[in-house]
Amino acid sequence: MRRPLIGLTAYAQHVQYGSNEQVVGMLPMSYVRAVHATGGRAVLITPDDPGTDVLESLDGIVFAGGGDVDPANWGAEPHPATDSDPVRDASELLLMRAALDADLPVLGVCRGLQVMAVATGGSLHQHLPDLVGHDRHRAAAGTDPLAVDSSAFGRHDVVLTPGSAARSLLGARLTVNSFHHQAIDDPGSFTVVGRCPDDRVVEIIEDRNRSFALGVQWHPERTGDLRVFAALVEAAADSSGLGRTALAA
Amino acid sequence: MVKMRPVIGITTYVEPATWGVWHNLPTTLVPHDYVAAVTGAGGRAVLLPPDDLDTDVLRILDGLVLSGGSDLGPELYGAPAAPQTVTRPERDAAEMLLARAALTRDLPVLGVCRGMQLLTVAGGGTLHQHLPDVLGHDRHRPAPGVYGEHEAGFTPGSRIAGLMGEDTRVHCFHHQGVDDPGTLTVTGRAEDGTVEAVEDPRHRFVLGVQWHPEVTRDKRLFGALVEAAA
Repeated sequence: MRRPLIGLTAYAQHVQYGSNEQVVGMLPMSYVRAVHATGGRAVLITPDDPGTDVLESLDGIVFAGGGDVDPANWGAEPHPATDSDPVRDASELLLMRAALDADLPVLGVCRGLQVMAVATGGSLHQHLPDLVGHDRHRAAAGTDPLAVDSSAFGRHDVVLTPGSAARSLLGARLTVNSFHHQAIDDPGSFTVVGRCPDDRVVEIIEDRNRSFALGVQWHPERTGDLRVFAALVEAAADSSGLGRTALAA
Repeated sequence: MVKMRPVIGITTYVEPATWGVWHNLPTTLVPHDYVAAVTGAGGRAVLLPPDDLDTDVLRILDGLVLSGGSDLGPELYGAPAAPQTVTRPERDAAEMLLARAALTRDLPVLGVCRGMQLLTVAGGGTLHQHLPDVLGHDRHRPAPGVYGEHEAGFTPGSRIAGLMGEDTRVHCFHHQGVDDPGTLTVTGRAEDGTVEAVEDPRHRFVLGVQWHPEVTRDKRLFGALVEAAA
């Protein structure tokens, strides 16, 4: 068997686990499980000294969630609430541009969507509450805003643009979870194809001129709805000549 | 055309981890020292989450690091579990599959601590489950988070002897150790007799060390792996 190999951008983070406390290369398992559940094989790509050669080995790539993107990348001063990691930014912006140049299938999740915009000349709102007057796009860490018994905080709808690839994949409307305080202002070379109907926050972007380039502001890997991961893995299988049979297992 | 560095896979483990606003989130992780050691030696590290479905990821790897971690399940070498043994069966299953397939492909492999023990068990060997019971001292794991530091002696003419040269000090942190090396050759020991290095001369590059060369980002060992992988 040969599954499409999907790179996941990971990060170097000081974490505590068991009796250990140290800097580790890491990523929440939810991303790994989402890739494996949809027929791909996940490997983690850590921030590295500038080098994009690893892309040659991959069939697709997921830019994962994480901290804020440094506003210096679109020429803005940092907001007091902005907390960024310049090493990760530099590495991911480089990887993103190289992945798009190579037309590697790309899925951006939360921060990953924001990196898609910034890497192609776009910009972000640094702190959504300043823009929309509320913080309902940022659910409390560790909560599941989609759970039956949870409050509506951090849960909202997304309305998709008719005729978009995203709409063919996800339908006209869906309900999503939300864990962010930055959001897209200018989507760069991408097209905005879905927004939160309550406050017009950008929720999903795509570029139909590429084999597969989709970014979502929410966290599908933390839900049972893995359609965007399935679409990425399928695109990765197609573009690497594996065909759908590779996903039959 | 970008210059391709050898791609070195590093096995990872899954633990509930806490950072920032997140508490006990199941996370796939490995100490960043391993990544830095591979990068510093000229390789491109990718981290491999445990997955026991298949070994197809080996297709893109030029070399493999079996990283440290929990004790191997003693059932893998036919022993009942000792009271001090702490295992991660899912990781065992995934790594054993990966290690065996890597050996079949003659992929260069560096086993570190648990990784060396895994190479040993994959080669039909066995482990001591709690060294203090065998040695009567705790110098290979002096205290939580503290590495034991000691000299190791290496077999003249072995790969590890050539790589280590004059400086034979090692940093270790383990409570299990190799008993029967199986099909591997023991090429290094501590003064108390504990196995510190194993090799498999039948392969291009199969080296296991009981200590932690990633902590000092030891280019002697990681450089040799990357060179073998190139």
